[in-house]
Amino acid sequence: MMPLLTAENLVKQYPVRGGMFAEKRILTAVAGVDLELHPGETLGLAGESGCGKSTVARLLTGLIPPTSGSIKYEGRELARMSKAELAQYRKEVQMVFQDPFSSLNPRMRVAEIVGEPLEIHRIGDGDGRRDKVAELLRRVGLSPEHMMRFPHEFSGGQRQRIGIARALAVSPRLIIADEPVSALDLSIQAQIINLLQDVKKDLGLSFLFITHDLSVLRHLSDRVAIMYLGRIVETGSRDQVLNRPLHPYTEALLSAIPSIDPKKRTRHVIAKGELPSPVSPPSGCPFHPRCPYARPVCGEKRPELLEKVPGQRAACHFSEEIFLKEAK
Amino acid sequence: MPALLEITGLRTEFRLKTGVLKAVRGVDLTVEAGETLALVGESGCGKSITAASVLRLVPPPGRIVAGSIRFKGEDLLALSEERMREIRGNRIAMVFQDPMTSLNPVFTVGYQVAEGLRIHRGLSGEAAAREAVELLTQVGIPAAKDRVRDYPHQLSGGMRQRVMIAMALACSPELVIADEPTTALDVTIQAQILELLDRLMAQKRMGLILITHNLGIVAERAHRTAIMYAGEIVESAPTAELFATPLHPYTRGLLASLPEFGTPGEKLATFAGGVPDLRGDLAGCPFRERCPIGDDACGRETIEMSEAAPGHLVRCRKVP
Repeated sequence: MMPLLTAENLVKQYPVRGGMFAEKRILTAVAGVDLELHPGETLGLAGESGCGKSTVARLLTGLIPPTSGSIKYEGRELARMSKAELAQYRKEVQMVFQDPFSSLNPRMRVAEIVGEPLEIHRIGDGDGRRDKVAELLRRVGLSPEHMMRFPHEFSGGQRQRIGIARALAVSPRLIIADEPVSALDLSIQAQIINLLQDVKKDLGLSFLFITHDLSVLRHLSDRVAIMYLGRIVETGSRDQVLNRPLHPYTEALLSAIPSIDPKKRTRHVIAKGELPSPVSPPSGCPFHPRCPYARPVCGEKRPELLEKVPGQRAACHFSEEIFLKEAK
Repeated sequence: MPALLEITGLRTEFRLKTGVLKAVRGVDLTVEAGETLALVGESGCGKSITAASVLRLVPPPGRIVAGSIRFKGEDLLALSEERMREIRGNRIAMVFQDPMTSLNPVFTVGYQVAEGLRIHRGLSGEAAAREAVELLTQVGIPAAKDRVRDYPHQLSGGMRQRVMIAMALACSPELVIADEPTTALDVTIQAQILELLDRLMAQKRMGLILITHNLGIVAERAHRTAIMYAGEIVESAPTAELFATPLHPYTRGLLASLPEFGTPGEKLATFAGGVPDLRGDLAGCPFRERCPIGDDACGRETIEMSEAAPGHLVRCRKVP
């Protein structure tokens, strides 16, 4: 089966200036990312702030151009698409944002917010669009009576529903959701997670789900990819990566999550120190200065993202030795 | 011996144009020395206002209208503002959520840590500066000698939070109130900060009120946990017991809605509706509109805390 969306060796760099007379330096936000998303699949992309996951989302939606690398949608290169093809791409790939307070235009009524994509893509006319907006609002658990209200009249959870209705308006095939529940209260978080799952199932959508919360990641994803300092360090099925990680960073992330269930508490493998600057990334493996297992070679040679067991890839020189020993 | 902190019947209100918002509606809490009490609830439940009330730092137009807050037996609400200033930052310290807005951007971090030492402990500038380096080293800031000359914007979020903790601990307070101390941080840094707080609390036998909405942190760190909803404590118990046998329908619902307890791909439990309007009086139980087991009488009767098991209090007429 052809993947719906493919990213190959995706790179995004920004020039930064240290100060008035400082030399221009390069910040590498995304340092060569490969991703594949299959139809009907939910891929969860996780990592801590500054790892480049949101930049990947913006590259994939075409909001910003990559410095190098390619993005293919159903085998067609994004950079070589005609204007009409690109418009179709922008219709079929929709985005849901993190902050429902800043992502909705405060001067627009709900009907305009949700109906705008229909207008942009010239779908339907006045009455048809109105009916469609009413249907979308019901779909996301709001009522058509909400149409004439403004965003400030809604709670955070309701606003996120409006954002989802807007994304669904033009019948997309892929939704890229960047931390869609992180800004919400606990009891509201569960409602929005359920809604996202409902629309995925009912409409047969594919999802790229970006989060820093591994319990949300586990709940929603079929496959997961873990990012660190602009690179994917591990990828595989949900159960593979989250139950038997093959990269020390994934292990550290998992063990850092405080758990309610005493049975799930493992010994804390604490990652030392902090995230290095993406302006001057460490030599060799980007995680080696914080890694509890690092050896001299880790500072010299960057490990490739290689398949360690069928379906699961990790970028670590010592995955086999650290994590797969007992399996042999 | 009196408890380290004993709050009884605390009521804090905000006089707004649209009515009186009763943010804290009769809160009772006790913290002992060396104990970590977690105060848990969703946005707007009154947990931060409860904390601000303890330090008498409720932002206007808010004010404390009833109750007592006893710190080692002394009623903080009866003290003069001058006496209160001697306690604030000295015997009771606060760690805020966002270190970027609570550190002063125009002073070096070394100056800010030393400030409390000069004011409360009367140290000379030089001695305070030396002690500041010592404190920053204690909270795990590498090369603290050089960092004291940095301004807040030159430090990462995790490092700023460590500075906040160093400031809070500068005068060896007896009680620390930490309001979402790690919410703005990444999980690997969060783990480092929580380990640090734990170690320091144990070393110095301080009391800690940990305000958070992260139930995982609560389960791992707190001795006792109080759940707040719409300005009231609805349940409080030793932490292990609270998570093993939650009694209040709100606590049970909150736990059930966590992805950690869901089956991947299956629906999570939710409760419908939202929190009630806190302007004016609420008759009966504030949770009844969303409650799966409530009935009409829950909306009429005033519901008191009752002891369901030793040390396990719950405000619900349907349980146990």
